[in-house]
Amino acid sequence: MANFEPILLRNRGVTGSTSLKVYESRGGYRAVRKALKMTPDEVVEEVKKANLRGRGGAGFPAGMKWSFLPKDRTRTLLCVNADESEPPTFCNRVLMETDPHQLIEGTIIAAYATKSQIAYIYMRVEFHEQFHIVQRAIDEAYAAGYLGTKIFGTDYSLECYVHRGAGAYVCGEETGLIESLEGKRGWPRIKPPFPAVEGLFRRPTVVNNVETLSCVPHIIERGAAWFTGIGPPHSTGPKLFCISGPVKKPGCYESPMTISVRDLLEREDMGGGMLPGKRAKAVLPGGASMGIISANEFDMKMDFEDPRKFGLLGLGTAAAVVIDDSIDMRVVLRNMARFYGTESCGQCTQCREGTAWMHKMATRIAMGAGRVEDLDVMLQTARNMGMMPGLSICGLPDGATYPIETIIKKFRGELESAIRAQPAGRAKRVLSVLN
Amino acid sequence: MPKITIDNKEIECRAGVPVLQAALEAGWDVPHYCYHPGLSIVASCRLCLMEMMMPNPKTQELSWSPKLVPSCQTPVKDGLICRFGSDTVKHNQRVCMEFFLLNHPLDCPVCDQAGECYLQDYSYKFGNPTSRMVDQKLKNPKKDIGPRTLLYQDRCVMCSRCVRVTDEVSGTFELGIVNRGSRCEIDAFPGKPLDNPLQGNVVDVCPVGAMLDKDFLFKRRVWELRSTSSVCPKCATGCAIHVDHADNKVYRLKPRFNPKVNTWWMCDEGRFGFKYVHDKKRIVKPIVRRGMDHESPDWADVPDIVRFRFSELVKRDGAAKVAAVLSPFLSCEEAWLLCKFIRSLAPTAALVTGLIPYSGEDRKFPIGSNNGTTKFTILKEKCPNRRGIETILKAFGGTTLTFDEFCKKATTGEFSAAWITGGYPEPWVEKETAKIAEKIEFLVVQDIFENELCTGAGMIFPSCGWAEREGSFMNAAGVLQSFERAIAPPDGAKQDGQYLYDIAGYSGLYRATRIRELMSAEVPAMKELYVPPEMPAHAH
Repeated sequence: MANFEPILLRNRGVTGSTSLKVYESRGGYRAVRKALKMTPDEVVEEVKKANLRGRGGAGFPAGMKWSFLPKDRTRTLLCVNADESEPPTFCNRVLMETDPHQLIEGTIIAAYATKSQIAYIYMRVEFHEQFHIVQRAIDEAYAAGYLGTKIFGTDYSLECYVHRGAGAYVCGEETGLIESLEGKRGWPRIKPPFPAVEGLFRRPTVVNNVETLSCVPHIIERGAAWFTGIGPPHSTGPKLFCISGPVKKPGCYESPMTISVRDLLEREDMGGGMLPGKRAKAVLPGGASMGIISANEFDMKMDFEDPRKFGLLGLGTAAAVVIDDSIDMRVVLRNMARFYGTESCGQCTQCREGTAWMHKMATRIAMGAGRVEDLDVMLQTARNMGMMPGLSICGLPDGATYPIETIIKKFRGELESAIRAQPAGRAKRVLSVLN
Repeated sequence: MPKITIDNKEIECRAGVPVLQAALEAGWDVPHYCYHPGLSIVASCRLCLMEMMMPNPKTQELSWSPKLVPSCQTPVKDGLICRFGSDTVKHNQRVCMEFFLLNHPLDCPVCDQAGECYLQDYSYKFGNPTSRMVDQKLKNPKKDIGPRTLLYQDRCVMCSRCVRVTDEVSGTFELGIVNRGSRCEIDAFPGKPLDNPLQGNVVDVCPVGAMLDKDFLFKRRVWELRSTSSVCPKCATGCAIHVDHADNKVYRLKPRFNPKVNTWWMCDEGRFGFKYVHDKKRIVKPIVRRGMDHESPDWADVPDIVRFRFSELVKRDGAAKVAAVLSPFLSCEEAWLLCKFIRSLAPTAALVTGLIPYSGEDRKFPIGSNNGTTKFTILKEKCPNRRGIETILKAFGGTTLTFDEFCKKATTGEFSAAWITGGYPEPWVEKETAKIAEKIEFLVVQDIFENELCTGAGMIFPSCGWAEREGSFMNAAGVLQSFERAIAPPDGAKQDGQYLYDIAGYSGLYRATRIRELMSAEVPAMKELYVPPEMPAHAH
């Protein structure tokens, strides 16, 4: 597997890879021509057969999502979720930076398959340069007749717009994204109705991740059988893995979902091992929301199924953060709690109050004024906020509680001894000042 | 009527309502904040979650759902099985109550809502007695959000009902939510305070003490108030209301659910329009003029005086020279008694519909709505009972006149005796109208405030505010609603119904229900008194 030929990232490093000319010269826009000769249902069927699971985090099969659209619909809308805001994740960013036309091609095929007339690319506002790259690519595609009315000389028309978000994590949730796209506050919607039935502007809507759509042209071009041949049966196709932290070569790497966390960390063509003098203590393997694994769990496979066996929520975005042994676990705990405390949208009670409370407790613990019972309260709060299956409108509180719970469970010894090592009576003194 | 099973008990419920509403109406006490039957469903407070039987997607076998489902968002369906009594559901309720109180200042002793606060009630019923929160509480600010409303954000539970009222009922969109997470705040847009004709409803729907009515603020503890069912007299819509009063004083008006009239809402004009009842300038005693003197007779002598003067003139000038002007502020019962009295003395007496006050145009809400989507209307007709008076006059038949016709005839001296009723909260007698007093030999004026007619009146009766009377009003749409007496009339005064009852020759205590019985035998339209369905206290 060491010499796995990159598929999604095949144009990375190629000069001018963002331009239409270079993309086409390397075989681009062949798949879309092929797809437009098929019927939309055949395209859906092919993607279904490929068992392409959503790369956004939940791993829901994309073909299945498309087939939930009502049969008698008149107008369908496609949203591309480029609001990549999961803390250590940058797969979509790399894809849009290096190969925007691959995304556009995937978008056209998906739009054709779902009979959508408009595609919206919802991009997080912090992607400044990426926005210009994608916008330039869209302009090129329009000029070439690949977007707009009667594309590629067929009767099919597709408009494509890039919409930039306003900086909220929750707008990456599909109904939060839809609300935000409608110009409203990014509050996830109550379901049912599901977006496939009533989504953006009350039309049937499909929301797919950038990486998911980037896979689509390859499935169409090379067939579902080729796609399912990559990786284990439940996690087919190539996947981008991000690694950050004190490793020699942090970055984004492509591989089938057969690698383990240790591979990602140590293989020469990936992380390349830890920096000299550093020792990995823990890894957040799937973005912040999935939870943490300790050093003795590094053999966990990075696929859609294995992480659950290690108490994690799932594969998530497959973006690993390595935490070395110089980092205090109290700080990690606090950092996780802080993120969700500020990013909870404030709609559901459990999430709104629970995340803020955990943030307060974690901050106090990190300040050196924690109490051992705070850890229990945090664990209980995490559970009370509703872990899978959740109690709230969207999955954000699930994502907020998994890191907290796994950190406390797996590193309880370290946390407790740090708390016990505090000067006597410190917690009491700090609390008396606070109240 | 669908049948659903809650906690192993089968109940029948109205079709098309959420399970939560059905459960509340059937007597379950399910805590909830964000749900309001008059507003859209957001399912965000997560308090009303329940367990529901669902078919397993693979085996189609029924089993309890692994996930708790919001009962406010689940419509009732025949055969639906759910439960609120399980440990999982109760645990969630306990957990939610802990979360709601985390940053709450617990300032019930100085909070206006205390006593009718859902946060208090639910904490007692479903919450924990102690808090595990040791950290500093988040102190969200107190804000002056509009000319009539204060917002204590620290007490807010973010149910967003107030925001939805401005979005969906008034259609004015003043309120919104700013910030994220636990720093979420309700706020008005800069430079656009909460100021619309329905803004008082924002305070009503607030389940906690966050939205406060400046008019009622710190006036009275709510447990000292008594609530009386009434009908708003401010316009012909005739909203069903509660009059909240203590020590013979009205403190506030609140809307009362009536699906045919106002549903859950009322306007500010009505809500704050009760102040005239406590005006010091009111007429409180009957007054008789003898030559140049005025004196106050005993109430016991009043019927004889009136009857003597009227019959004297009828004998002299004939029955057609008598008129009675029935103000649209009279209740149907009072109007019927007056007509009865006048016609018994003078069978051909003219019966006149009193002056109908108009102001501006009808206002429909939400703003910009049309007939199908209108949720609330403030009518330009600023009186509660024109339809009722007209119905009664029609039933009596004979000479019936409009107020203008009466004035015209009166100025030419066609009437020698007349009984003019008022009761308008605002001055209503114009200069031209005042002149008729000179042309009428014996004029009885029955009004709440002294007016220009009084100088020429032979007799003046104090009229009472509607909160001091009982009776019924028929609104512009023809819905007949009864209202009860909330407070006693000021010292010296009697409620209009009582002295009209005495003068009409009945004895004993005036009771509107008794008169309604007598009246409806003669006026069939008065049979159809509409009593809105009683809603459990926490069902809205």
